[in-house]
Amino acid sequence: MQLIGQALISGILIGGLYGTLAIGLTLTWGMLKVINLSHFSFAILAGYLTYQLSTTFGMNPFLTMLVTVPLLFLAGVGLQWFFEAFHVDEFMSLLVTFGLFIILESLMQWFWTADHLIISRAQNPLLGVSLWVGPFAVPILQLASFLAAVLISGLTMYLLHRTYTGKALRALAQDREIAGAFGVDYRRSALLLSGLAAAYAAVAGAFIGMIYGVTPSAAIEWLPVIFAVVILGGLADAFGAFAAGMIIGVTNHVTSAVSDAGMAPLVTFVVLILALLLKPEGLFARRSSE
Amino acid sequence: MNWRAPLAFLGVGLLLGLLPWLRERLDFPVFYLVFLYFVFFWAAQASSWNMLTGYSGYFSFGQGAFYGVGVYTTATLVDKFDFNFLASLPLAGVTAALLGLGVGFAVFRLRKLRGELFALLTLAVALVIAAVVRNVDIIDGGYGVPLGQVPYPEFLGDYSTMLYLLGLTIALLTVFVAYAIQHSRLGQGLFAIRDDEAVAEGLGVPTFRYKMIVLAISCFFAGLSGGLHALQINYVAVESVFNIRVPLFVILMSILGGRRHWLGPVIGAAIIHTLSDRFSSARLEFLNQIIIGSLLIVMILFVREGIFARLQRRVWFSLALFAGVLAVQVLGGIGERLITQIAIAMLALIATLLIPDAVYQRLFGRARIPC
Repeated sequence: MQLIGQALISGILIGGLYGTLAIGLTLTWGMLKVINLSHFSFAILAGYLTYQLSTTFGMNPFLTMLVTVPLLFLAGVGLQWFFEAFHVDEFMSLLVTFGLFIILESLMQWFWTADHLIISRAQNPLLGVSLWVGPFAVPILQLASFLAAVLISGLTMYLLHRTYTGKALRALAQDREIAGAFGVDYRRSALLLSGLAAAYAAVAGAFIGMIYGVTPSAAIEWLPVIFAVVILGGLADAFGAFAAGMIIGVTNHVTSAVSDAGMAPLVTFVVLILALLLKPEGLFARRSSE
Repeated sequence: MNWRAPLAFLGVGLLLGLLPWLRERLDFPVFYLVFLYFVFFWAAQASSWNMLTGYSGYFSFGQGAFYGVGVYTTATLVDKFDFNFLASLPLAGVTAALLGLGVGFAVFRLRKLRGELFALLTLAVALVIAAVVRNVDIIDGGYGVPLGQVPYPEFLGDYSTMLYLLGLTIALLTVFVAYAIQHSRLGQGLFAIRDDEAVAEGLGVPTFRYKMIVLAISCFFAGLSGGLHALQINYVAVESVFNIRVPLFVILMSILGGRRHWLGPVIGAAIIHTLSDRFSSARLEFLNQIIIGSLLIVMILFVREGIFARLQRRVWFSLALFAGVLAVQVLGGIGERLITQIAIAMLALIATLLIPDAVYQRLFGRARIPC
């Protein structure tokens, strides 16, 4: 019981990080028709920048986000500009970003070597420190990443449902031509959204750098589970991504606790395939949305 | 299909099959046999991938899973059950085909999984299989499977000759099947599915059955070729078998060569393997990845049809250019290895094929553009 309770807590906390990574991906996929595999490279790149800034300049790892988030925002804007300039469709975007993914991976390996890099404890004093709630440990960094995820998904939902830009984006996702006829500027909204997605990747990357450390191959390790989250949550659904992140986080950790850690990916994908068979439009989609 | 095609394939096979014998007479390094084995391996893998993706349009990231299942079927049968190596090869193909049928049965029933979701789901399958193999002790259990002491069919000659001959046979068989599918009713049906599945279904193409058939065939050859490759790898380990290299390379090779013709992936395989072999022998692995990634992006953006289609339109110019660049190097004594010289000639060829048709026509005025 103790074990499962602890697994539940860790699962929910890491689910937040899954959600942070998945929201950017699901929004650009669902609204801009861009399947961005380099989203993961962006996150890991941000993780490396966090490492470098805090190691070289002694910056507080949390404060490095002041640098990485705007930087990655620009990268996201640049990527969307590139897609617009070359008229990249959904299928092409998958392959173009796959190419970018490979390029970024070898650049990171060249610059930072293939070693596992983690911020030293002196720079990152919160690593491994936990709050105790009764018999259960709540690691502080993981808790912070979970709170960041709550903040990000809340912000995104507010943006999408309460602001003009958000409504414009949702209109564009439903029908680009009609929305354009009503005066919605596709270009501007798309650049903004892509930048925002990359900025979320930067936040996720900073936490990955702080909690797990980074290697060039980390990008590919995060890829399957995050795609499972995106598909489970339903495309372009910020709340869905956040909730699905927790579902997958919890199933992963509970599986690891009761059986073998190696079985966790298997259970994850059984859950995913079952969800696809039973409710293919995404777990949290309202049927009347079309 | 007529009787000429099988004969042509047989002829090419016999010619290439004579190479090991020629090698003993002329005494050129065994390196060339190993090199060609890899070209055969990649040609088989890329053709197998292209039967499914190029013909039916269902984009698969899961080649690694089907290839890997082939590798591990042979490795397990031979190492743990003392199975005959040659007999294990068809079983490797069948196991991969069964996995493919299982995946297809789940995936092809869902309309939503047409398109991009299929790509990601196949990627997930590869990762699940890797997780299973790593955790099941009888297959691997995370320790790897050494195959150095496995008895191989010695009547085919020494180790590299045996690999060469078997690799040649499997590659020819795969490419021939790819050719046969393209020229059959099945192929026409698949092309219709690729162009518009709903319309194809309306016109009476049995889409589900066709997709299952081609998926099974594609996986069979991925597994068969993987089974043989287990012996080439010699030490089979999860990390190297299920890494991103196989799916990445088959995608790149087919996109470079062209996905609408059976010869496209073969040309792509020859070019990409030659280039990446040269890069790694020059200790430029890191540059290799960057160039491959960039090439993928450039091809997708500017030459979506692949270079084979353009090659067909500029056949004489391209051949002359390739032969010319090669001849200058050989006669001028630039570089010391034939393969390096060929690689450079290939780069020159690709560079000219990147020239758009409109520009080419203005420059040379001879491009035949079929209407």
